[in-house]
Amino acid sequence: MKRCPSCNHLADDAQKFCTIDGTPLVNVAPEPVAARAAAPPDADGPIQRIQCQWCRAMNDKTALNCRACAAPLDIQDLVSESGWREAPRIRDMAEMHFGNSTCQVEGEIVPVAEINLAPGDSVFFEHHVLLWKDDNTPLGVMQLQGGMKRALAGMPFIISLAQGPGRVAFSRDQTGELVVLPLHPGMELDVREHAFLLASHHISYSYVRIKGLRNILFGGQGMFMDRFVTTSAPGLLILHGYGNVFERVLNAGESILVEPGAFLYKDSAVTMDVQPQQLTTGFFGGQSMNLAKMTGPGRVGIQSMYVHHRTD
Amino acid sequence: MQQPSLSPQRSYTCPWCTTTSDGTRLACPGCGVSINVRENVTESGWIELPGRKDMAKIQFGDSYCQIEGELVPVADMSLAATDSVYFAHHVLLWMDTQVRVSAMSLKGAWKRMLAGMPLIMTQAQGPGHIAFSRDASGELIALPLQPGQAIDVREHLFLVATSDVTYDWFQTGVWFTTRSGDDTETHYPLGMFMDRFTAPQKPGLLLLHAGGNAFIRTLAPMQSILVKPTALLFKDPTVQMQLHFEYPRTNSWSPWMSWSHRQLWLRLFGPGRVAVQSAYEPIEDNGRTISRHSNATNRQW
Repeated sequence: MKRCPSCNHLADDAQKFCTIDGTPLVNVAPEPVAARAAAPPDADGPIQRIQCQWCRAMNDKTALNCRACAAPLDIQDLVSESGWREAPRIRDMAEMHFGNSTCQVEGEIVPVAEINLAPGDSVFFEHHVLLWKDDNTPLGVMQLQGGMKRALAGMPFIISLAQGPGRVAFSRDQTGELVVLPLHPGMELDVREHAFLLASHHISYSYVRIKGLRNILFGGQGMFMDRFVTTSAPGLLILHGYGNVFERVLNAGESILVEPGAFLYKDSAVTMDVQPQQLTTGFFGGQSMNLAKMTGPGRVGIQSMYVHHRTD
Repeated sequence: MQQPSLSPQRSYTCPWCTTTSDGTRLACPGCGVSINVRENVTESGWIELPGRKDMAKIQFGDSYCQIEGELVPVADMSLAATDSVYFAHHVLLWMDTQVRVSAMSLKGAWKRMLAGMPLIMTQAQGPGHIAFSRDASGELIALPLQPGQAIDVREHLFLVATSDVTYDWFQTGVWFTTRSGDDTETHYPLGMFMDRFTAPQKPGLLLLHAGGNAFIRTLAPMQSILVKPTALLFKDPTVQMQLHFEYPRTNSWSPWMSWSHRQLWLRLFGPGRVAVQSAYEPIEDNGRTISRHSNATNRQW
């Protein structure tokens, strides 16, 4: 196993450079979870830390949930034999930290992200995901470029901003999971439009136009995808996936075919190209099926309930 | 439905699908249900679909299926080169690039098209991984079919089946017409057709997706029960169906047999198993008088 010294991304031994930021990888020997759990709490020697298997953040050895993404630290990752890793089921009322603020995840069927914003911290979001807020939590609007293009493409051209101090809570309109993605500096993530719930103000938000007419018409994403970029400071991005969410890391040149409506997020290095599949039968013609060919290197996230829910 | 049993040789018979395994596994290899988990049976006799651990595996042929997730579960199949499955194309979630897909034509294409049923099924041939899911929260139901066994499934609930299972369909025979002036409309509360899956010679595997939770019970000969038509999930072919109308008494004036006061039910007669789902679509109504209907009973309260 190798690790990126810059963003802590883990990679296979065969890889030399990080698929996220291109930094040369270094060898690591991850400590088994069982061994960590068995370690006596008052052992002498260097301070033991637990690395979160989902976001790679380091945590105190007594922590039950990751401080950065709230993933349970005492439960092994669920990985299918085909290589998909299930997004961690965040415990009800688990808490995560970003900047000087906290986020508590409440509920398990349609989870709520409740943010306690510290002074100086802020989060941005699409206005229709707002569930409740304190009377005194200030709301504002984030300036965006290309407002006309976004409006024409059916994307929100106003992104709302909640500033601390105060509490504000967010949820979506269907059964699903919160996917917490702490972004390390220098990361770029593409997200299906309308799938993001909130992001901290350290993350810069833009959009990327989907290339190719076939991808626009049959890709199930519309014309644009949201792009989230961190420059110098880390940030917190929370998505809402419909149904269950699974992630897979593709090696360079490795491809997989995905139902376009199931696509949730990907590293910007992953390319997407729609491939039509013709299914015909005799006199009645047939049906065509379009699948998105995702090619690595990088992460791909999908949601199992993939109907496209329109939002206004 | 039997209780879980461990024989002296430590073999285990699954109460859900009756597959016998060696008793050393944590889950039934036939349907993925956790072994030795006590059945949840309601006081009225409905058995809740038994629990299944996330990532549980089901074997079929030289292949296996892994059930992933608990809100909208995914059936992730690892197909051996000799095995294939078929499905309606809109349930495909992802697949390896080497999996070969082709169309499987069906008889009665014209009628199926008129009834809004899928015109073709898609067939996937191994080797490779392919995964399926539906677009609503619920449960995956694995029904291993023994040679000679058949099952009737309400339309649009089928997820995927192995190629050893044959697919056929039949008219439900459950309908009524409403009339307003010269305008007559025919309604099919169950749909015009039902799917029938049969394992003629070899055992096969059928996967369904239930909306919400799934419950099953076994009806004795001539025992009947009323269910909402769209809640029906599957039944044994021996179970018969007919319509049942109820007209609750109302204090306010209304024309007799007006839709606003009638309840529409599906009566199921044993012997055999019936299964229902807890999340079901409401039946569309147009508020008009029923002029004709298939075999039905009615009751006024």
